[in-house]
Amino acid sequence: MDSLRNSLQRLDPRSGHGADEPVSREREGNRFAQLRGSDFVESIPFWLPATLLVLLFVYGAIGWNVAISFTGWSGLGQPDYTNFTLEMYRQMPADQNFRASLRNTVALLVAFTSVSLVVGLGLALLVDRKIRFENTFRTIYLLPMALSFVVTAIFWSWMYASDGLINTTLAAVGLEALAFDWLGDPRFKLAAVIFALVWQFSGYCMIVYLAGLRSIPDDHYEAARIDGASTLTLYRRVIIPQLRSSTIGATVVLMVFALKAFDFIYVMFGDNPGRSADILAVTMYRQAFSASEWAYGAAIAVVLFALALTIIGPYAYTQYKRGAL
Amino acid sequence: MARVTLEHVTKRYEDIVAVDDMNLEIEDGEFVCLVGPSGCGKSTTMETIAGLTKPTEGTVRIGDADVTTLPPKDRGVSMVFQNIALFPHMDVYDNISFGLRLRDYDKEEIDRRVDRAADIVQLEGMLDREPNELSGGQQQRVAIARAIVREPAVFLMDEPLANLDAKLRVHMRTELQRLHKQLDTTIIYVTHDQAEAMTMSDRIAVINDGRLQQIAPPLTCYNEPANLFVAGFIGSPSMNFVNGDLANDGLRTDHYDLEFDPAAFPLEGIDEVTAGIRPEDIYLERNTESVVDPSATIEATTDVLEPMGDEIFVYLSLDGSSAEMMTSDEASTASNQLLMSVDPDETIEADQQVSIVLDRSKVHLFDAASGEAITHGVADESVHEAPTADAEGGATEVESGGQRD
Repeated sequence: MDSLRNSLQRLDPRSGHGADEPVSREREGNRFAQLRGSDFVESIPFWLPATLLVLLFVYGAIGWNVAISFTGWSGLGQPDYTNFTLEMYRQMPADQNFRASLRNTVALLVAFTSVSLVVGLGLALLVDRKIRFENTFRTIYLLPMALSFVVTAIFWSWMYASDGLINTTLAAVGLEALAFDWLGDPRFKLAAVIFALVWQFSGYCMIVYLAGLRSIPDDHYEAARIDGASTLTLYRRVIIPQLRSSTIGATVVLMVFALKAFDFIYVMFGDNPGRSADILAVTMYRQAFSASEWAYGAAIAVVLFALALTIIGPYAYTQYKRGAL
Repeated sequence: MARVTLEHVTKRYEDIVAVDDMNLEIEDGEFVCLVGPSGCGKSTTMETIAGLTKPTEGTVRIGDADVTTLPPKDRGVSMVFQNIALFPHMDVYDNISFGLRLRDYDKEEIDRRVDRAADIVQLEGMLDREPNELSGGQQQRVAIARAIVREPAVFLMDEPLANLDAKLRVHMRTELQRLHKQLDTTIIYVTHDQAEAMTMSDRIAVINDGRLQQIAPPLTCYNEPANLFVAGFIGSPSMNFVNGDLANDGLRTDHYDLEFDPAAFPLEGIDEVTAGIRPEDIYLERNTESVVDPSATIEATTDVLEPMGDEIFVYLSLDGSSAEMMTSDEASTASNQLLMSVDPDETIEADQQVSIVLDRSKVHLFDAASGEAITHGVADESVHEAPTADAEGGATEVESGGQRD
């Protein structure tokens, strides 16, 4: 920035003092030579194209979406940008589908995140005990994370089917009473989705926690043991509290994934999963692309964006205060 | 306070023997340093005493109790770690009181003990600070306070000063000595820094390859090393070593002879002997007035000089070769090199011909095969009995050896 400021100052005509023309031209030539040599100007080809693309397709699209949400655009035709209204936001509280999908989104967010963290922490603690085949276990647990939502959604649809692996296994061990229609029964739909997502993401949590555990020196374990801590106390009072930053980092990532779980539910149920499994992302898509209620879909997208900001904002601010951003 | 005893303690990790048949007896209130090079087994020995590692064989006793199979918390020991090991999510008070809170002491007793420990290590007013708000020295004091507060029978300290800067390390060394005097508790201290071991401990246990080499007061280890390893490890720079063959009138080495009466020492059956002499026991010939029993003159050339402020280390070449590319350890074991320490006021330059003598009363002889010490000092009995006369007259070349052509 300093080099930019210096370059701009050098280019500022007010900084000139009306010297005679040849001297002025010479100075100008020097200024351009200096500008050409500045780090800022020389770095432009590397960052400007990407910055422009991000501004246009990310922030421009967000801005456009917000603008659409203030119109009453629906069906065919063009949005009317001359008459902005909050009508779309006003109708949300009365919309049963919106309320159900908001409730489901929050439930998914909380349950998926917390269960994934707990399972991931448990796996990390087990893997961290210098077990044999540690690398193999790590790979096995992390593998689901590498699969796309589409693949896992299809895979779990088969698992949850009436004659799928889960019900077949339950029947084989004499637990037919527990064999439900997991994806058809409104009582289990969301839980089934959460379970499948936990399966996919707990490996990620394990890796984050494992990295956190590996950063705790062995001395801390030994010091706690000498001070008289049992294994449970050791983890509860010494080790897990030190995993705070791992927990916060993983929580933010999981919550953002939960908000973006559209593809998983869309592949599993289509664009209308029913009120018991509907989430905001699917509602947004359905309103916009199936019902052609573009403005309402855009307003739901703004709500989703606000939720994401609520999650990321405090984290980003804390990181900024710490100097990590 | 408690006595700590290790009886035939061995610790094996698959094909590595970390501690090999260790026998150690540490008295009540004693400050003992376990010293040795990295990987010698000193930390494993301490972990065995702490209960962090179970010995493969042998018995560990603290006081009269056999604690070999007891968990660390039931041994009455406290430990201070090299990496300080303060819990970063707890403030100073919580760190110090952690062990007491686990043992369900009442709040008043915890406060009393924490205040006393903070007072001993001078941490008053810092109890509500986070560890990352403290300097390295303050953090180390918190770690010591955490050890003190439980009033243990034995303090174990595993290189607690290793991560501190040089100045702070010297300061903390004094603090630890003061602490030992104040608490009068048994302290077992692991270090690879022999200066720490020499200055702080009542006795030093020198360990190498998992085996105890010598346990003795610091000056005994320095002046009467039990073997070649102790002689080379204790003292900085290292003792000069030279291998030689025994003759009827002394020792013949590649570059000089050292005359003494072999019959006066237990040398039967030993053919090859390693002689050792510390740098400060080599003198310029012109300074031999204070030498009790000087050897014959040895001609040498000064090679590299290392002025240290309080002394100058002089690398001497006995055959004109250079020690420039050698470490002090290599120079001290090369037969054609000697490392000498001279007074800082001495007028001496590089590449200068000098005549030197060895103080025979400080020459150590070791069995070259086993490395065991044979004798410390090869001076004649008569010389020891009448040092004044000898100092006045000086020893002749014929009496005490001479340069080999």
